[in-house]
Amino acid sequence: MSSPFESYDDLEDADERLQAADPAERRVAIIALGHSGDPAAVGHLANMVADPDAGVRQQVAMALGEFDGPEAASALVKLLVDPERIVAAAAADSMAEFKDPACAEIILPLVGHAHAFVRMGALRSLKELRCKDTLKPALEALQDPDAAVRVQAIGVIGFLKLEESIPALTALINDPDAHVRRAAVSALAFSQMKPAAETITRALKDADWMVREMAAETLGLNVNGSLAADQLVGALTDEFWQVRLKAIRSLGKMKIERAVRPIGHCINHDQANLRKEAAAALGEIAHPDGEAFLAVIADDADPDVRKNARWALQQIAARKARAGA
Amino acid sequence: MALDQIVDGLSEVSCDVLVIGGGTAGPMAALKAKLKNPKANVVLLEKANVKRSGAISMGMDGLNNAVIPGYATPEQYTKEITIANDGIVDQKAVYKYAQNCYKIIEELDSFGIRFLKNENGDYAVKKVHHIGTYVLPMPNGETVKKALYRQLRRARILISNRYMATRLLKSSDGRIAGAISVNTRTAEILVIKAKAVILCMGAAGRLGLPTSGYMFGTYENAANSGDGYAMAYHAGAALANLECYQINPLIKDYNGPACAYVAGPFGAFTANNEGSRFIECDYWSGQMMLEFYNELLSGKGPVFLQLKHLHPDTISEIESTLHKVERPTRGLFQQGRGVDYRNESIEMHISEIGFCSGHSASGVFVDDNARTTVPGLYAAGDMASVPHNYMLGAFTNGSVAGIDAMEFADNHDFAEFDAADVATERDRVLAPTRREDGIPPNQVEYKTRRLVNDYLQPPKVTRKYELGMRRLAETRQDMQEHMIARNAHELLRALEVQSIMDCADMAVHASLYREESRWGLYHWRTDFPEKDNENWFCHTLLSKQNGKMTSEKRAVEPYVVPIADDEKDLYDKQRIRATA
Amino acid sequence: MPLASYQTSVPVVVDDAKCIADKGCTVCVDVCPLDVLRISDMTNKAYMAYDECWYCMPCEADCPTGAVTVNIPYLLR
Ligand SMILES: Cc1cc2nc3c(=O)[nH]c(=O)nc-3n(C[C@H](O)[C@H](O)[C@H](O)COP(=O)(O)OP(=O)(O)OC[C@H]3O[C@@H](n4cnc5c(N)ncnc54)[C@H](O)[C@@H]3O)c2cc1C
Ligand code: SF4
Ligand code: SF4
Repeated sequence: MSSPFESYDDLEDADERLQAADPAERRVAIIALGHSGDPAAVGHLANMVADPDAGVRQQVAMALGEFDGPEAASALVKLLVDPERIVAAAAADSMAEFKDPACAEIILPLVGHAHAFVRMGALRSLKELRCKDTLKPALEALQDPDAAVRVQAIGVIGFLKLEESIPALTALINDPDAHVRRAAVSALAFSQMKPAAETITRALKDADWMVREMAAETLGLNVNGSLAADQLVGALTDEFWQVRLKAIRSLGKMKIERAVRPIGHCINHDQANLRKEAAAALGEIAHPDGEAFLAVIADDADPDVRKNARWALQQIAARKARAGA
Repeated sequence: MALDQIVDGLSEVSCDVLVIGGGTAGPMAALKAKLKNPKANVVLLEKANVKRSGAISMGMDGLNNAVIPGYATPEQYTKEITIANDGIVDQKAVYKYAQNCYKIIEELDSFGIRFLKNENGDYAVKKVHHIGTYVLPMPNGETVKKALYRQLRRARILISNRYMATRLLKSSDGRIAGAISVNTRTAEILVIKAKAVILCMGAAGRLGLPTSGYMFGTYENAANSGDGYAMAYHAGAALANLECYQINPLIKDYNGPACAYVAGPFGAFTANNEGSRFIECDYWSGQMMLEFYNELLSGKGPVFLQLKHLHPDTISEIESTLHKVERPTRGLFQQGRGVDYRNESIEMHISEIGFCSGHSASGVFVDDNARTTVPGLYAAGDMASVPHNYMLGAFTNGSVAGIDAMEFADNHDFAEFDAADVATERDRVLAPTRREDGIPPNQVEYKTRRLVNDYLQPPKVTRKYELGMRRLAETRQDMQEHMIARNAHELLRALEVQSIMDCADMAVHASLYREESRWGLYHWRTDFPEKDNENWFCHTLLSKQNGKMTSEKRAVEPYVVPIADDEKDLYDKQRIRATA
Repeated sequence: MPLASYQTSVPVVVDDAKCIADKGCTVCVDVCPLDVLRISDMTNKAYMAYDECWYCMPCEADCPTGAVTVNIPYLLR
């Protein structure tokens, strides 16, 4: 019987197999190299980036995704600029898995590439590397004509969590593209500075509901979010219920007592999700004024609403007991 | 050569730690064992191929139970699991999991596995459970197995694909000595001597028959036929709370999750035919399944997962996960039926029964170091008794098992097993190949699983269970005397049926032993409709003693995270009684 | 007892024109968790040998040439 174990010498005849005249045979050889997980395979794969067959190059791009580090990055950047879309797309996916910060300097030059797809792929892979050198080029990429590139650049900047990038992120609040505005709002969450909270607050009035929803949610994550309590209360009358829901959740999380009545007035909304969230928030705030509103939904047709109302009443009772004691 | 032709052969290898099952817990156990002692030999034995095996073959929608600082605490998590599991929990293992799992997430992240992050690169955790916030989506999770596999190759783990383990070997003093396996394409036997063995063979997912009638259309990866449960049983290890079945709410016919954990945080919910919610919380538990079951029977069904109240952009976002990872054929299925989530809800149904601790609490009994009751034998993942531990539990407890097992191996020499045990097992394994004529495994399997549905599916009626036991015994006799396997692939199926049959027997035995109702639908006994804390606030342990299936009680360990009465109360008051 | 063969329409289809099994590829056969795919002795192409499919997709996702199509098994379609 042959060995019951998977072999660890996949590289033995690699070079010969990579020279095969038939592109399909070359593909099969490349699959084996990717599978090997042996760092020595990277060199063999790198020699194949100029193969005349696009399918082979695509396979190389996929196989390189099994490795991390500068050598694999150097090969992949060549494939990311491949004229064939299938090759470039595979390279972008593989690069997105890099973790080794040493890859950054190899990828950085592509941030200025002529094709938007390349710029986007490069920025996407830089996010996880969290390398300070990427800040400047990413800030420049915020001016990119392509919105999808700007979104990726925001990610690179946001992952770094540097206060110095706040002005640039703030400027994006007027970006013509809603996805960009939404990403920018989310990226401001980390900031300890008041201007960031103010910018997020302004986004509560954005024309696009998804941006408003993100703003309402992000205020709940930001340290200065409670400064926007009044504006969040204002968002409780937003025309779209999914925005109101996030506003309620953030107000509850921050335990804003003056929001009890406005939240209470949402308790009759015909969306059960909203009633449920309102009940939960009243429980989190635990102010006695919430009781009257919760009584309204004690017999709600929706059991999840009832459950949250019960829980909320219990929180209020516990707070009263503590105050009495 | 004829397809999957049977080859006569037997060989033996040895290693320090043997991990059986390379799905989720297994790769992590193997990796951690090897990292603990890089000089030692670690073998990872897998029935399929580690690259794409197990429940997470195509990734997962997300981590269901991530305890991430800032969103939930280990204390809170331990409480929730204790309450969701009706108090029958040894909290130490749950608490340990809750403390360790964040480290594991970060480690998985460093392997290149992608979790949902916000624009600051922080994990974007979502709320589904009763109190805490634990769900971490993985919209790009389809590469999970690739990333794990990469780590295994890097660490030079000895991987044996396409070997199905069939029995464990022990020494005369009861210590683990290794395992016997069979190649699923040649039927050659491989004996692996090992100082410590870790069982990671997943749920018993092929116990009940899906309502579609397609035997492999199960909720669980259909390769998980309960071999681990059967092997642990025959090795004399104790199995805990097997009567606490796994039953899940699934897309009807497709039989995969919809999944409330993906769509729930976006606002989707389970609704009845009137469009209203009838479940207190979409977190899966026996209680939730009972509410589901009642609704289906009440005339207010069918039951749906409702999304159409959400903004079309939100629905697109949900679809991009639902149709790409975990069960990516979900999109194809809905498309075939012309269902668009924007204007139609997803029809749901309840799954067949199975054993699983990942979703429920039925598994091989382990302590907080993943040790079973057999010295040197460990278990982790869906088949080990730590309740509700899901994918992250499989990774985290797999890691615990790997480290502890290597320590055990470092301190022990090989235990000696009796060569006659190998000969006996070889005869049992190959018996179906030696018959000229008989019943093929697919028929035996269909019948066994059909009986499971007819007699074992809750509500559990004592009389039905007794009849089921008789029918199963008759089928077992057919299986032992008449089942044939004409090639190695059919032999694989023939061996799986034997595990399925063992699991069915254990399900009957464990269910009849616990004379109360508990865990909602999972253990609803019509003859004992009430929960009886006085007599049954305990685990039940099933094991083979003197060749006979035996059950006994085991006290629940004192809680490490106390639960106040009013907390229990609040939860209990929400409950719908089984008899209602 | 004599055995009859039981006909089923299998869910997984391989496009022979795209399949490069004849050049040494075995990816789909390797990854299938249920081990139901094989390379045909006659055509040297991959095909579904056993109708025991979990419709899970690795075969389709990992095929280098896009030759595999997974359909939902008829009984649950
Ligand atoms: C459809 C589905 C969706 C899910 N969704 C989620 C989710 O979104 N989030 C979450 O956290 N959890 C989810 N889970 C649960 C989670 O995936 C499991 O809890 C976890 O993956 C179990 O890991 P395991 O290692 O125990 O089992 P598995 O990963 O299933 O591995 C078991 C392995 O053992 C092998 N094996 C079986 N028998 C033998 C034998 N005799 N010899 C050798 N090898 C054998 C199998 O081939 C398999 O590879 C889901 C599960 C399923 C099925
Ligand atoms: S993976 Fe694709 S190319 Fe390879 S054998 Fe299978 S069908 Fe053929
Ligand atoms: S869908 Fe899954 S079970 Fe079916 S053939 Fe492909 S890999 Fe195998």
